[in-house]
Amino acid sequence: MTVWILIAVIVLFILWMIFIYNRLVTLRNEVKNAWYQIDVQLKRRHDLIPNLVSVVKGYMEFERDTLERVISARTKALSAVSLREKAVAENMLTQALGRLFVVIENYPSLKSNENVMQLQEELTSTENRIAFARQLYNDLVANYMIKREVFPDNIIASLFAFRGAEYFSTEKADRILPVADISIGTK
Amino acid sequence: MPLTFIDIEKQKSWRIGILFIFLLFMYFCVSAALFQGFLLIFPVFFLKSGFILSESNLPYLLILIAFSLIVAIIHFCFSAFGAVRSVMDNLGASPPDPEDGIHIRLMNIMDEIHIVTGNKRKITCMVIPSLSMNALAVADLKDDAVIAITEGLLSRLTRPQLEAVVAHEAYHILSGDCLETTIAASLFGMYASTLEKMMDPGEEGYRGFHPAFLLFWLLIKLSNLLSMFISREREYRADAASLRMTRNPLAMAEALQLLSKNWAGVGLISTGIEMLCIVNPQASELDESEGWWADLMSTHPPIRKRMEILLKMARVSISEFGAKASSKTKAFDISDTPEALYYALDSKQQWQGPYSYADLASLSWISPLTWVSAGPTQTVERASENTLINKIFTDRLSQTEKEISAFTCPFCKHPLFTVSYENTKVYQCNFCGGILVENNKIPRIIARREKKCTDRVKSLAKAVLIDNQRKLTIKKLRSVEIKTKSGITCSKCKHPMFRTFYSLAYLIEIDRCNICGVTWFDMDELEMLQCIIENKITPIVGLQQIPL
Repeated sequence: MTVWILIAVIVLFILWMIFIYNRLVTLRNEVKNAWYQIDVQLKRRHDLIPNLVSVVKGYMEFERDTLERVISARTKALSAVSLREKAVAENMLTQALGRLFVVIENYPSLKSNENVMQLQEELTSTENRIAFARQLYNDLVANYMIKREVFPDNIIASLFAFRGAEYFSTEKADRILPVADISIGTK
Repeated sequence: MPLTFIDIEKQKSWRIGILFIFLLFMYFCVSAALFQGFLLIFPVFFLKSGFILSESNLPYLLILIAFSLIVAIIHFCFSAFGAVRSVMDNLGASPPDPEDGIHIRLMNIMDEIHIVTGNKRKITCMVIPSLSMNALAVADLKDDAVIAITEGLLSRLTRPQLEAVVAHEAYHILSGDCLETTIAASLFGMYASTLEKMMDPGEEGYRGFHPAFLLFWLLIKLSNLLSMFISREREYRADAASLRMTRNPLAMAEALQLLSKNWAGVGLISTGIEMLCIVNPQASELDESEGWWADLMSTHPPIRKRMEILLKMARVSISEFGAKASSKTKAFDISDTPEALYYALDSKQQWQGPYSYADLASLSWISPLTWVSAGPTQTVERASENTLINKIFTDRLSQTEKEISAFTCPFCKHPLFTVSYENTKVYQCNFCGGILVENNKIPRIIARREKKCTDRVKSLAKAVLIDNQRKLTIKKLRSVEIKTKSGITCSKCKHPMFRTFYSLAYLIEIDRCNICGVTWFDMDELEMLQCIIENKITPIVGLQQIPL
């Protein structure tokens, strides 16, 4: 009699292990997928920027400084390798673009130009997509870490060497809100 | 609440089961009552007892149950599987136009929502061509899910506000609320609307009443109760979910305030599907009250309470918010910030003006050599020397790169240029300034207010309205047809066009082709129409001398 109970317990235990292991594997892959989704949106932004700069360049001779800042931030973002470098470069690019849009507000004929409006909409959408992709990534990482560290499951996790994932965080310096810089002219 | 939006709550499916049982019960009752009635009239002698529900008639009872089961299943399948399609057709919704700037914005926002929810469910978006402001979400058993937004709402919300509204609706779909509500609405909707017609006193004042309808009425009310049971709580949760996605409580609060102040679509959205909307189209006092009875019977929570919760999160007090909101609505005021005005010297050496920048651009005789001045005491300079005015000419040069469309102007026979007017594509003749618009784009153009109504257009509109009012009266007195052939042919299909007024409420003369659905507006007519509708200009009604 007790032999049957023991066998039943062992079988249940193995089933539970399999269930937990599969869940951890699924979550780990979802995290990896979400990470690459962010890259997709970042690439979209990199591709849109040269278009915007070429359209705007003709109208804004006095703003060469702002434009150059955008171009250099983009090149730096393209060449970044590690996660830390990428995060920093992308944040700087966001700030440079923000400043450019504020400057565009001062040129009414540019603001009503259809191409510029379309590009502005596309870039706003891309910024949102990047933000949402990061949000999703962070949510998934949190979910994965919780399932990895909760008491009975963390035994399985350490047994099968499930590594932790890193959150996509902003640098402390970037937490300072960028001030809208609306002065025209050379800086 | 789950940590991510990936965990779709499947608990709602048991309620759908209850709805089906309800339907079955209803059909069983009806068929039993009918059969009982039949028995009373024609006593059938192979039945052991005259009363159908007694145990001795068990085999007949079973037949009755089987029959009502079949009917219930057919009804359920028809309504639950095709609900999305029927609701959309009812509202006249269509997919967004990929060439329209604001529809593109909506499509981008849908993509963003898909990203933030991890692409777990494909949601399509549709646009309802109505000036009311509402949004609804529908889902059916075929796994279709649609968010439909009215043109009025699309044109009046800023991007962050639109994101908040779409996120709210998306949560309803993803959490399964929508499926349940759609099925409830479509199952009993048919009977609910016939019941409404029955209960309406009608022209003769006779109210038809039949005992069977009492049963119907009871069952419908019970099913409504079932759906409304946690309806209020659902709206709060959807608001919170939208916040978690967009992280912008102020935008959601602003959107709710705009929704509460405007026409929410009563008359357009039929009773039954009102539960699917973000704001109740038939906003009633019951909705705005609190307490357990209101919680049970109304479909939407009071908007003020929703806003309070959101504003508490944003740490903004309601009075502060109200002040900010009233300063923002000034953007729709015609009397805006004073623009810089200029005077220009015409060929007869007369100073004309004052003109704003937009008026100057529309003057036909202005050139880079024209003398302009900001006022009697200001400096006089050539138009090309003033950097702002010079932009008029550089813009004109850059505008010649506009696309030539395949259509020609019905009057001048010149090719029409594709122009973007109020963010949507229309065709304009450079020569006479007339515009060709497809009929399905007109509600959009009327709903959007980016083009400011200048004083010139306003005064022109008033004069034209008075003139047209006289013309209309003359035509009516002489019993002449209001719609006449205008002698020009349609640019698209080459059939003759008809000259008529846009509508009897808005007396602007236009040429319309009913075969291919386009309208031709002469120069300024489209702007005048927009101006009249936005500012509610009406002609002066009164006794006037009408020449005979």
